[in-house]
Amino acid sequence: MSECIVVTSGKGGVGKTTTSANLGVALAMQGATVAVVDADIGLRNLDVILGLENRIVYDLVHVIEGECRLKQALIRDKRVEGLFLLPAAQTRDKNAVTPQQMRELVEKLKAEFDYVLVDCPAGIEQGFKNAVAGADRAVIVTTPEVSAIRDADRIIGMVEAAELPEPNLIINRYRAKMVNRGDMMNKEDILEILAIPLLGIVPDHEDIIISANRGVPAVFDESSVVGEAFRRIGRRLGGEPNVPEMDFSEGSGVWGVMKRWMGFGAAQGVA
Amino acid sequence: MNTLINKLLNRNNASSKEDAKSRLKVLLIHDQVDLTPAQLDAMQEEITAVIQKYVEIDRDNSVVRLERGDDRIALISSVPVRRVIERALPA
Repeated sequence: MSECIVVTSGKGGVGKTTTSANLGVALAMQGATVAVVDADIGLRNLDVILGLENRIVYDLVHVIEGECRLKQALIRDKRVEGLFLLPAAQTRDKNAVTPQQMRELVEKLKAEFDYVLVDCPAGIEQGFKNAVAGADRAVIVTTPEVSAIRDADRIIGMVEAAELPEPNLIINRYRAKMVNRGDMMNKEDILEILAIPLLGIVPDHEDIIISANRGVPAVFDESSVVGEAFRRIGRRLGGEPNVPEMDFSEGSGVWGVMKRWMGFGAAQGVA
Repeated sequence: MNTLINKLLNRNNASSKEDAKSRLKVLLIHDQVDLTPAQLDAMQEEITAVIQKYVEIDRDNSVVRLERGDDRIALISSVPVRRVIERALPA
């Protein structure tokens, strides 16, 4: 019983590709077989986040146009058993692929893998339509900002219009310190507005820049808080809905208040 | 140092997240109904003009706004009435 999950957001730059890469690794670490598909044709980046950019020979458009077999285009990630990347074409554009072709491609992948994770491009045009075409469900990534949440709301409507089930939400770049002083919308504020179930929260942390620099997703790093957040989300996605959320709070007791006054955060490293 | 003093004296400005939330709520409604704030103002003007044919109202304290419920958008209007204009009859 395999499943295709599209990772989408509407707005660019909220962390779709980082989320796709980390969840792909997390699911593979749990023992699943996973294909991560970069659907951002013309602006591929999932290969870079995964550190697999030097191993690309064929891409998604080559497969669709019959220039190679699907297996030839899939890049095996040697760091974890069961993880494969299907890269996007860099020199073509979104109109090189139709939703019907994507649907057929996803069906072929689902025959081989437990999970097919599709990294959706930003926007609501052809690229989005292609990315959701073969999906069984969607995960929406947002950040606690007005613009990102506005676009997420729009995308939730479009996911429903595409007749996918109710999507789940990932809140990325969460800053506990700012939330505590009332300068960032908290989990409840965001869920009240978007009204879809929460899959998890990812703290804003410099780990993610370092992991992108190196091409090693944070999930590989046992000590990374971002990695831990994605490992938990991966488990919830993989069928353990009750994995607890990480504690981002700074404490509400006297010591917590003191620390907040002094400008120290208890959630270590969370910016 | 200034920020520390401000924090100790709890001299915070109103939290900016409330601004974010209220702006978002208005934005999402306008995105959904495709009605600009200017159009909403124009509608309020017209509605008020009609009401004023029948009752005298407190215009300064009148509000017309859109609110998003679970599955629909409602037009919420609060118009304080000062007195009924007795001779008013439908045209």
